[in-house]
Amino acid sequence: MRRREFLKVAATGGLGASLGVPVYLRQAWAQNPIKIGMPAALSGGNAQYGIQAKRAAELFAKDIKAKGILGRPVEFIYEDTAGDPATAVRKAQKLVEKDGVKFLTGVVLSSEALAVSAKCPEWKVIFMSTINGAGALTAKSFNRYFFRVNTSGPMGARAISLYLAEAPLKRFFALGSDYAWGRDSVMSFESQITAAKKEVVGKDFPPVGTKDFASYIAKVRQSRAQGCYLALPGQDATIFLKQAHQFGITREVKPIMEIVELENMKTVGEAMVGTIGSSRYPFTVDTPKNRDFVKRFHDMHGTYPDMFDGETYEGLEWLAQVIQKADTAEDVDKVIEAWEGSSYEGLEGPFLMRKCDHQAVQLGFVVEVVKDPKYPHPVPKILATYPGDKVTPKCRTEEFA
Amino acid sequence: MAFVAEQLLNALALAALLFLVSAGLSLVFGILRVVNFAHGVFYMLGAYFAFTAVTVSGQFWLSLLLVPPVVGIVGALLEASTLRFIYRRPPIYQLLLTFGLALILEESVHVLYGPTAKGVDPPALLQGSVQVLGAAYPRYRLFLVVLGVAVGVAVWLFLTRTRAGLVVRAVAQNSEMADCLGADVPRVRTLVFGAACALAGLGGAAAAPMTTAYLGMGVGVIVDAFVVVVIGGLGSFGGSMAGSLIVGAAQTWGAFYLPETAMVIMYAVMGGILIFRPWGLFGQEE
Repeated sequence: MRRREFLKVAATGGLGASLGVPVYLRQAWAQNPIKIGMPAALSGGNAQYGIQAKRAAELFAKDIKAKGILGRPVEFIYEDTAGDPATAVRKAQKLVEKDGVKFLTGVVLSSEALAVSAKCPEWKVIFMSTINGAGALTAKSFNRYFFRVNTSGPMGARAISLYLAEAPLKRFFALGSDYAWGRDSVMSFESQITAAKKEVVGKDFPPVGTKDFASYIAKVRQSRAQGCYLALPGQDATIFLKQAHQFGITREVKPIMEIVELENMKTVGEAMVGTIGSSRYPFTVDTPKNRDFVKRFHDMHGTYPDMFDGETYEGLEWLAQVIQKADTAEDVDKVIEAWEGSSYEGLEGPFLMRKCDHQAVQLGFVVEVVKDPKYPHPVPKILATYPGDKVTPKCRTEEFA
Repeated sequence: MAFVAEQLLNALALAALLFLVSAGLSLVFGILRVVNFAHGVFYMLGAYFAFTAVTVSGQFWLSLLLVPPVVGIVGALLEASTLRFIYRRPPIYQLLLTFGLALILEESVHVLYGPTAKGVDPPALLQGSVQVLGAAYPRYRLFLVVLGVAVGVAVWLFLTRTRAGLVVRAVAQNSEMADCLGADVPRVRTLVFGAACALAGLGGAAAAPMTTAYLGMGVGVIVDAFVVVVIGGLGSFGGSMAGSLIVGAAQTWGAFYLPETAMVIMYAVMGGILIFRPWGLFGQEE
């Protein structure tokens, strides 16, 4: 528990106890807020993603303050999971049982999400993913308490392979981190590229945390590939791109990433210009709603929104709309029914919540990293936009029609 | 041929960074008889301080000059305020203390700089690549090789050719006797600890343009540095040099030919050394 939370609990608890008021009445005094629990990774190697979710929630809380949801205030309760699945379940359980939240979101890692999602039917709370990529969450591990607002991993991979099928590049090298996500991504990339009658001329799996990619860069160069597909987690991707640029191979070999993150662009800087990849939410998308969001976000946080900032904000706004429609924040079943099949106008375009697997159907983007004098760092430029039905897998599967 | 030259240079550049870290680790063990778990964190501090210095001043060379003494002072202060008081206790206390220091420093960096990596650009002079035997090779990595060799020679000259170096070696060999002969042992310890941290800081500052500054880089490097000193011999300066070259080569060539087992090769070499020559290639048998 943080010091401030402790003080708050201690103060209200002490006050309530001293006045001898029953617990349920004390809650009513606080105008009965709608509580949203965020068991997010706020420390450790994945903290940057938890912090994105938190930033989005802070902006949303400010925006909704005036009218609330169902006329009630909204309260966010943050818990730090440090990116550990067991801790995530424990913190989520605390949020559900002690704080009485009916809605969980902000979980960062897919491993955490799989663990938390499995408990939701028992807790009878809604778990809204705005970050988690694992295809299984809306396929073999699906349950009706889970909703995914964000683009999933397979959907991102789909967008990029649709793009590459049309692109002039023919020979590819694939580099994936040596764990489940990296290997899965390289495997599905290979099968889609081969299906498009193109060639994967080499692949490698550097260990997570590799700090010197020189040997891999030498191999990519020797393979005479035209594109290099990268499924490396944030930090490793940053280091790879920096070093590849220093070796000068990015002029001959186009870097292709499963996900292009703004955070990488800020760190890598100009060395990343020319990289292409899918983006779940490119903040440069030109819609009136998004322009307004980016401005308000920048005013509040002094930086431009990354993918999970945008997607978490959208999730929260949609959730508020659904609670309003269900006219209850307590009857979870009613909220689920209201959400299924509902549509929402997001920052980058329309969203539809599929009833069959609770995957939100939405636009898929392929972007290129470019320099733009308007911004202090390189930014994503949209190369191609795919309609939702092209990039969303068949119901409860990770496969595409 | 070009390819062999390129891989050789890759191995040397990596060895240079490893050497800057492991030389200090080895030196501290030789003088203080402490296995310093916090040593990698000073490497990380060097990288982050370099990021700050380059951002503020825009001068890479100035940063490379300023960061090591700053990191060295932080190290010396920590030694004088904590480690100094527990040299007489069993080694487990020193392990726990340095481990605790590592956690505290790492978390402080997290709080100060935030969780995301910080990129540092090489100076204009070292950007881009040059032709080495027909293959483009990054200038910055060539600089790392030169830096490693220069620092190695400088420290070696200091240890063998100067009076102060003589005192350091005397304390390393027998601190009680050195004390009797009038050497100020506590002061030597603090200075050596500070100098070792400065070396690690220099390594971190030099590594930042290649690897960026990120949380966890200290832990990553300390594991490699331990392997280096075990292979080369704990407390031996020449050993750190040889160990760095061996580990650098094993990682570079291993990642190319046997990518699945690149990590294993390094530990296999270390295992072999531990079995057949437990005091390391250049260490003193005790």
